[in-house]
Amino acid sequence: MNGKPLIDWNWIGGHLDDIWALTVEHLVLAFIAVAVGFAISFVLALIALRWRWSYAPITAAAGLLYVIPSIALFAILVPVTGLTPLTAEIALVSYTILILVRNTVTGIDGVPIEARESADGMGFTPRGRFWRVELPLAMPLIVAGLRIAAVTTIGLVTVSALIGQGGLGRLINEGLDTSFPTKTITGAVLSVVLAVLADIGFVLLLRRLTPWTRARGVTA
Amino acid sequence: MTASQVTHADAPSGIAPGASVVFEHVTKRYDAGAKGPGAVNDLSMTIPAGAICVFVGPSGCGKTTSLKMVNRLIEPTSGRILIDGRDVLQEDPIQLRRRIGYVIQQVGLFPHQSIGENVAVVPKLLGWDAKRRRARSDELLALVGLDPARYRDRYPSQLSGGERQRVGVARALAVDPPVMLMDEPFGAVDPIVRERLQDELLRLQEQVARTILFVTHDIDEAIRLGDLVAVFQTGGILAQFDTPDAILGAPASEFVARFVGADRGLKRLSLSRVSDLEPRAAVTGVVGASAADARTRILADPASPWLLLLDAAGRPLGWVHERRVPAAGVLNEDMADPTEAVLTPRMSLRDALSAMLDADVITGVVIDDDGRARGVLTVEQVASALR
Repeated sequence: MNGKPLIDWNWIGGHLDDIWALTVEHLVLAFIAVAVGFAISFVLALIALRWRWSYAPITAAAGLLYVIPSIALFAILVPVTGLTPLTAEIALVSYTILILVRNTVTGIDGVPIEARESADGMGFTPRGRFWRVELPLAMPLIVAGLRIAAVTTIGLVTVSALIGQGGLGRLINEGLDTSFPTKTITGAVLSVVLAVLADIGFVLLLRRLTPWTRARGVTA
Repeated sequence: MTASQVTHADAPSGIAPGASVVFEHVTKRYDAGAKGPGAVNDLSMTIPAGAICVFVGPSGCGKTTSLKMVNRLIEPTSGRILIDGRDVLQEDPIQLRRRIGYVIQQVGLFPHQSIGENVAVVPKLLGWDAKRRRARSDELLALVGLDPARYRDRYPSQLSGGERQRVGVARALAVDPPVMLMDEPFGAVDPIVRERLQDELLRLQEQVARTILFVTHDIDEAIRLGDLVAVFQTGGILAQFDTPDAILGAPASEFVARFVGADRGLKRLSLSRVSDLEPRAAVTGVVGASAADARTRILADPASPWLLLLDAAGRPLGWVHERRVPAAGVLNEDMADPTEAVLTPRMSLRDALSAMLDADVITGVVIDDDGRARGVLTVEQVASALR
């Protein structure tokens, strides 16, 4: 490069507001995608648990969505939904489904049979058993799924810059287009920081939700 | 079938007593037509209120299926099951289960709940407030011998197998159920812990007097715990339903005889205690008393040539053969061969017999709770208890 420093701190200092706005946009896109993805996946998981035969087709469909390249998905969606956040969200959500459905179903399936049997024997309703016994015990796997979904989504949000969305992805794109590495690096670093923070956040959340998993080694 | 008086318990308040459980021609078939393994065939029996009834038999004999039909985890194909005269099939299964204690082999404590919460599961289902639940779970933990302050906030993963089992029993007792179902509850713990848990269950039962239906494949456990034992045979057939003594003394079939084992005579002995037999009087002499007097008395006794020497408090010191009792002077301790077969009132006859065989004697000294000799018991007397 023509003698300019890789990072222009002055530019960063002068555009903190813009950077902040893009960071927030990035987070909002990712949050909505994971939240909506989880809601859809949870319902799909309930269906798969209720009617076991539906589990294979559900995961097959989710797997298909998962392997469509994001660029191709945008190409399919843009004629329908335009260069809108909705297009970005549809793509982002579709990538979360597979992991979230699978982890939720696996988590519930992994509940010890004896916990289930004793719940039935003590007079839990099927619904009570699900919410108060199975779901809490499946929490480690469900949260693990959310963790992966959140981290990948935060990374994928940048790709939606291709259709004019993308939060920090826009910063990366602009930097590439204008050969101004400061923007690219800032966008990339912040995106990674968001992913790491989300990861840590879910670890802390899991610790809060599952105190029993750490309660070991107390001598009787 | 044992006749039993069905007590209709309409407890006004406080601790509800046990309730009778009656099976009337109960059949369970898994596939219509053929009778698959684990099915139950035309089971009829009456378990009186407050009794421990043990279902025992080889795997696939329908004992667990029969148990689970009581709280409708399994629905019978035909027949009726009455708890305290009420047909369980007429009741809402969820409400029914909340009124019946239930313990399974793997205990089934909820790993995500503390011990206190686990014990209070059913109270919570019934909508008790937090304060009442906590008071109740503390009370029950204490009842099963676990210090509430130490245990209530722990998680199941922090307890030993035996401790978890006790929490399971406490949980099953949470709302004072008149009937408790226990499905091989002690199957997964080691023999020493199992024996202790059995003792604790019997002790607990003395206090709570529930009707307990207990499934096991272990005939010794069945004999130990059961007021009544139901022996099931492969194919869901009730082979015999009677007291442990009657089953051991008079097996109803070749199958039952084989199932209870060739040592059923010894097993029967384990059902009776030393206190069940009237000890015979023995000729005794107290240390320091006149030897001449003792000699006269022992020589006059045709039953035995042995004088039982006691200390001043009446505790046995040992046996003195009549030839070794001097004609003059006083009795002293050195004359006696120490007795090793000392029998306490609560000892089972099996253990009493074993103590006599170990000591190579045919007469044991029965002592009371203070260690004073009450009389003697002979091997023949023990053997006659089987008649």
